[in-house]
Amino acid sequence: MPEGDVRIMEINTERDSGTLIAKTGGRVDGTNASEFQDALKGAIAPDDKAVILDFEELSYISSAGLRVILLTAKDMRTANVKFAVCSLSQSVRDVFTISGFDQIIDIHDDQQAARSAVSS
Amino acid sequence: MVTQDAQTYAYKILVVDDEPDLEPLILQRMRRNIRSGRYAFVFAHNGVEALEVLQRDTDIDMVVSDINMPQMDGLTLLEQIPKVDPNIRSVIVSAYGDMRNIRTAMNRGAFDFVTKPLDFEDLQITIERTLTHMAEWKEALQSRDKLVAIQNELDVASKIQQSILPTSFPEGDGYEVYGNMLPARNVGGDFFDVVLLENDKIGLAVADVSDKGVPAALFMMSSRTLLKGSAIGHGAPGDVLSEVNDLLNEDNETFMFVTVIYAVFDPQTGDVTYANGGHNNPLLVRPDGSSEELPMTGGIALGVMPDLEYRQNSVTLHADETLVLYTDGVSEAMNSVGEEFGVERLQQIFLEHPPTTARAANEAILKAVSDFAGGTPQSDDVTCLVLRRTGV
Repeated sequence: MPEGDVRIMEINTERDSGTLIAKTGGRVDGTNASEFQDALKGAIAPDDKAVILDFEELSYISSAGLRVILLTAKDMRTANVKFAVCSLSQSVRDVFTISGFDQIIDIHDDQQAARSAVSS
Repeated sequence: MVTQDAQTYAYKILVVDDEPDLEPLILQRMRRNIRSGRYAFVFAHNGVEALEVLQRDTDIDMVVSDINMPQMDGLTLLEQIPKVDPNIRSVIVSAYGDMRNIRTAMNRGAFDFVTKPLDFEDLQITIERTLTHMAEWKEALQSRDKLVAIQNELDVASKIQQSILPTSFPEGDGYEVYGNMLPARNVGGDFFDVVLLENDKIGLAVADVSDKGVPAALFMMSSRTLLKGSAIGHGAPGDVLSEVNDLLNEDNETFMFVTVIYAVFDPQTGDVTYANGGHNNPLLVRPDGSSEELPMTGGIALGVMPDLEYRQNSVTLHADETLVLYTDGVSEAMNSVGEEFGVERLQQIFLEHPPTTARAANEAILKAVSDFAGGTPQSDDVTCLVLRRTGV
């Protein structure tokens, strides 16, 4: 990696009756997507019944980031864990729309809507 | 580096075909490269004979093989070649649009294919591309042996990426095509391609693979080859994306995916039909420099899930109108204060300077993006393919 290009990925998590809410901020792109993937993997516990990614503070996601979302969605489906994302900024939502990922990933306007969707 | 003096280094190519007329034809059509010492050819007439030659002659770099042959066919031969020498690269000669065999050949390690009847110019381009790839691949293996840093692997990936991009563009009555890419230093998976189709139509593709590194570069390679194969086998862009999507979903354990915009241009009528697999929509620029994004067709990126249909849409390109296909590296290029380049800035370029040629339009876009970014490191490849209908 060249100097100064690495952005450290931080994921803040909280749990509420079996639902993991993971918040990530900044940018997810080719330079840090694998870190994002590792951080996410580390955050999800085997007994989580649902996982919500809250993207309120996410300013940008590239296709490398979308791949991590896709991987997570597939893993969660296999493990029978509900999975949703919420609170996308307009530009992040555009990335989901253009790639067609809005048709395969459960997206909600805010955390409240996501919580009630995964608990139903 | 494996390439020494490109002019004098001889590559030995084994041609396998049961058609006896092919040998004199190849020797005749490739005579310039044979005389200069760049290529040396050996011939076999079926798979069994080919394997005998390969075992006897360990200098062979590359195999060009027909599929249907007596005793041992080309697909069976492909399975056997790596057992003799895993570094040999193969190109298959297939019937026009025979995707099933092309896909099988790719699965068995073929690098590329050419179609019958053989176009010798195309064959030579394919041979050169394969030889370039082979050199990069040998280098990749050497770096792996040495367990060198990730950066080296990324360098190799970017060389593989460069080796699959077209280096020349078709010229025809009434249109021009020009494409280019500014690669990001260590990430990115863009590619583009221009394919000549039946009835003088042109297929244009711009794509973006979701990951980086050597596995992504290999995924890119197979996406490109499948796209090319499907493009010349089908007419409709929607069918092409649907087929490539299904093929990419077979054994996609890495969960990589690729966004693709694929358009077919008919120079006779100016009609452009396109389908979109999760990619940015092309921009149509009018002679006065005003422009609009083509309507969305709503497809999902390829490789995500099988059995998808891709809707397509058509527009007519009139004289002096320009179609710009690009990747998100253009629209999402960032400047020092974190702003994105955006589609509006892209449109602004042509409002100020309406396109005069395909190449000029392409260069104007790449320059505007890099001026905008200033010193901000490029986080993604910037790719742009321009089609322009000239005065009719």
